[in-house]
Amino acid sequence: MYPFTYHRPSSLDDAKARLAASEDGRLLAGGMSLLPTMRFRLASCADLVDLNGIEALAGIERGDGHVRVGAMTRHAAVAGSAEVREAIPALAALAGSIGDVQVRNRGTIGGSICFADPAADYPAGLLGLDATINTDRRAIGADDFFTGLYETALEEGEIAVSVEFAIPERAGWAKFGNQASRFAVVAVMVSQAAGGAVRLAVTGARTHVFRVTEMEQALAANFSEEALDGIPVSSEGLNEDLHADRDYRAHLIGVMARRAVRDALAR
Amino acid sequence: MSDRGHIPESRQREKPRADLQWIGKSMKRVEDPRLLVGKGIYADDINVPEMAHAAVLRSPHAHARIVSIDASKAEALPGVLCVMTGADAAEVCDPLPTWASPPVLQAVIAHDRVRHVGEAVVAVAAEDRYIAEDACDLIEVEYEPLPPVVDPEEALTSTGDAVLHPERGDTNIGLERTLTFGPVEEDFAAADLVIERRFRWPRSGGQPLETVGAVASFDEGAGRFTIQCNTSMYNYCGWMIASTLRVAPHKLNIVPTLAGGSFGSKMFVHKVPVMAAVLARAVGRPVKFMEDRIDNTTSCDNHASDRVYYAKLALKQDGTLLSLKTRIIDDYGAYLQFGVGQHGNALSQCVGPYRINSVEVDLAAVLTNKCQQGAYRGFGSEVANFVIERLVDAAADELGVDRIALRRQNFIQPDQFPYLIPTGNMYDSGNYQAVLEETLKLADVEGWRAKQAEGRKEGRYIGIGVASCQERSVFSATEFWMWNLEPGVEWTSSPDGVSVKIDPTGKAFVTLHSPFWGNSPETVAAQVLAEQLTIDPSDIEITYSDTDQGLNSTGPGGSRFTVMVTGAIVGAAGKIREKLLRIAAHLMEADVRDLTLEDGAVQVKGVPDMKMSIAELADKAHYYRLSMPEDLDLTSGLDATYVYDHPVTTLPDPDERHMGIFYPIMGHSCHIPVVEVDIETGQVHFLHYAAVHDCGTMVNPMTLEGHIRGGTVNGIGTALFEEFSYDEAGQLTTALWTDYLIPTIKESPADIVVGHVETPSPFTEYGVKGGGEGGRMGGPPAIAAAIEDALKPLGVTIDSLPLPPSKLRALIREAQARSA
Repeated sequence: MYPFTYHRPSSLDDAKARLAASEDGRLLAGGMSLLPTMRFRLASCADLVDLNGIEALAGIERGDGHVRVGAMTRHAAVAGSAEVREAIPALAALAGSIGDVQVRNRGTIGGSICFADPAADYPAGLLGLDATINTDRRAIGADDFFTGLYETALEEGEIAVSVEFAIPERAGWAKFGNQASRFAVVAVMVSQAAGGAVRLAVTGARTHVFRVTEMEQALAANFSEEALDGIPVSSEGLNEDLHADRDYRAHLIGVMARRAVRDALAR
Repeated sequence: MSDRGHIPESRQREKPRADLQWIGKSMKRVEDPRLLVGKGIYADDINVPEMAHAAVLRSPHAHARIVSIDASKAEALPGVLCVMTGADAAEVCDPLPTWASPPVLQAVIAHDRVRHVGEAVVAVAAEDRYIAEDACDLIEVEYEPLPPVVDPEEALTSTGDAVLHPERGDTNIGLERTLTFGPVEEDFAAADLVIERRFRWPRSGGQPLETVGAVASFDEGAGRFTIQCNTSMYNYCGWMIASTLRVAPHKLNIVPTLAGGSFGSKMFVHKVPVMAAVLARAVGRPVKFMEDRIDNTTSCDNHASDRVYYAKLALKQDGTLLSLKTRIIDDYGAYLQFGVGQHGNALSQCVGPYRINSVEVDLAAVLTNKCQQGAYRGFGSEVANFVIERLVDAAADELGVDRIALRRQNFIQPDQFPYLIPTGNMYDSGNYQAVLEETLKLADVEGWRAKQAEGRKEGRYIGIGVASCQERSVFSATEFWMWNLEPGVEWTSSPDGVSVKIDPTGKAFVTLHSPFWGNSPETVAAQVLAEQLTIDPSDIEITYSDTDQGLNSTGPGGSRFTVMVTGAIVGAAGKIREKLLRIAAHLMEADVRDLTLEDGAVQVKGVPDMKMSIAELADKAHYYRLSMPEDLDLTSGLDATYVYDHPVTTLPDPDERHMGIFYPIMGHSCHIPVVEVDIETGQVHFLHYAAVHDCGTMVNPMTLEGHIRGGTVNGIGTALFEEFSYDEAGQLTTALWTDYLIPTIKESPADIVVGHVETPSPFTEYGVKGGGEGGRMGGPPAIAAAIEDALKPLGVTIDSLPLPPSKLRALIREAQARSA
């Protein structure tokens, strides 16, 4: 690590002020990605503003037709939440599939989506469930939030405060995790809203999460695994790494999409 | 003497017995309480006054000449105490120890040329680790890249700039040799069938939780080093480090710390202690060097066997196995630390548990631009197990007979032990049928066959694999040098010693002369001494010696520890018991022959009232010697040391018809995993796993089972996930645990059902055999067989590991394409 000044504000305003006062400030949520990167000296900052002391940022609340999850809510809290499990069980399943116990007890939804790792699980959850990200300035739809590799629509100094999930008619989660690290090689969140509209989002396969419209249309007409038969998945532009080449990822998108539908129908 | 050598008489003193009080009991580990409350002192816990810290700048290139190094900015950084290049280091120390002869010279810091990514180029000592790392960032090194050599088979033909060590000749073959044992050509000529396969065993390695670390100090007044380090073998060959440091051996004291995991990789660490020591001498202050994870994975002693096999198994149509011929290309990386000891090791059990008449091994140890191989659980024999088991499976398939039946047919029979295999090594004892039958029972193979058939109807791919594997234990030194082309270190002894003291109050102290490196040395020592002296293990305290106090002790490794320390304690306790009896005989005016040691007291046989406790006798021994007659020939005190030699070893035949007995205490295991393969993703799930081991007389079934389960998960890692993978440029793409995938509880079977068969060794005390490496010896071939069995309807053949989902899915896709 390189040296930095550590701040632990207890209110959002205080955090904003400290961030604004720094030439080179960064926010610390769960620290599951940032801290290892800093330890390897691949990332550094002059001021590290820790959000863990701001109680108001954590918590889960069920409202009329939606579930709101505070940005600093841990994965374990979402996975174990009675509200989430009842309203959107696939979201609880997603949270429960992240990393290991230690990661789930530290990592937060806000940290995950703002870091926007291409293999993170939550981006698929947000995009597949038509979530809205509330920041200290505005509300951003998931469709507009994830903009690239480790990139989001957040502006300089903007802080994600909560995520609001519309409660769907049904939703399913299927993940093919990297063995041992359990980052998504390919994972799919599929949902169908009360009106019949379907969203199907894929994470792990490209620079950032994306929807597969051909599949969504087919499922909107007939929400079944068979509806996906014959829909080709191109390997063009897909991620390629040690653990999965493009063709394997393309194949897995088809397999995980069917399994996500199966999961939705079984819940 | 036959072509296979001769078998010496057994020196066993303690026969296996049914009435043992402590040996054979699942006693809780003596080590655990202090480790579990966080009071263990590991290498990084060592801090001494005035201590400086080191960091190392490492090569980003696989192969390059070092043109120039500009360290001026680093030297100018406040807090930097010393910047040492390879050229600087070469002036103050010699090459690192090696068993290879002729050697492949390896320097603690590379000079002139780097030969793998991660090789040390400059070392810095500074006031703290941050400054040391900052300084490394300021050093400018100019490299002239050379062609990287990554593929082992291409390394066979390297010339010119691609040669790593031009001073050894224009080749990257570090050693090439063919050893032939028995009538191989005749046996192949007589064969009805020859199974031929190419196998690829991947480079993987032990992954200790704590990396290698050392705190070295140099006393200028005494001209003497002290190095605290998490290494082993320091009391066997620690003096070699002194030679490297150019001091006399008595001017170096190596003090062991707890090793936070080893799995072999800390068997004899040399780079880290030498690095800390040369820096300490240069700066005149103690220096700590703790590897970080990348230091460890790119440049330590973790990397293990990385082999290509072209294997041929000759057999008769009736299933009789005749002969085994292998051409092996082993990618040793840039240097030969233990020579090709891993192939000495493999010769100890290369025919598996089978009667095979002759063996030929044609080995090319190639040098490539990768980290050099060290030691890792199995030390090369686990690969031999994989090869013979895969060949036997292939032979059964080819003959159209049951894989289990072919094994049964060829097993060495219980009445054939001790048994000399063609290479000359002895299998001391065994009962392979019994182990197989017990495993079949625990695995419920019949039941799973039925579920497999049902599953296939539903499109499920369930498979059952069986591997019957040797589990050699207690190496002798021969394995390190038998392949050498020129005479070098040709040691014949590989003993282990203990010191035992009974204090005046009757409490016992044991000093071990090898370290704790994750096994249960204290528990073993306590159980065996308690048995010998009929005392309670809680009255025994265990400590570890440094090299100043140490007795020759080879240390853990090669599944030696339990056998060797049991032998040493039997020896030392025997001396103490004799003294107790003689003192008691005098004090109770009895004949020694009428006395017996029972329940912590010396007792006159048949006279319950006439006894003296060990505490009473110890008091007399310590404080009342002069009250006893002078001619009693006793000294004060109650202590003994004993260095126990290898229980049975012989030397290689001068004409190399055989290699002698060098790894004879032969355990055995049978592993039967049941897997289900998800053919859409290539993912493997364990539905069941049964493993039965025969490690002779068990000292502690609970800790042995821990070894078996942990080793099995280790084997699952090797079979399915783990690989030190280098790309074409020689970059290690799996240097971190995010990419080097270690199985966790989630990837492991819900339970590993463990069973035991006990066939005591006729050569070791109480009949104990080693079991430290077992699970990794049997897991990989069994898992490969299970996957192949699951995918039988698709016709997938498994001949290389690991099998991560991507690779297995590719094999499935190819098979589907073939059949479509």
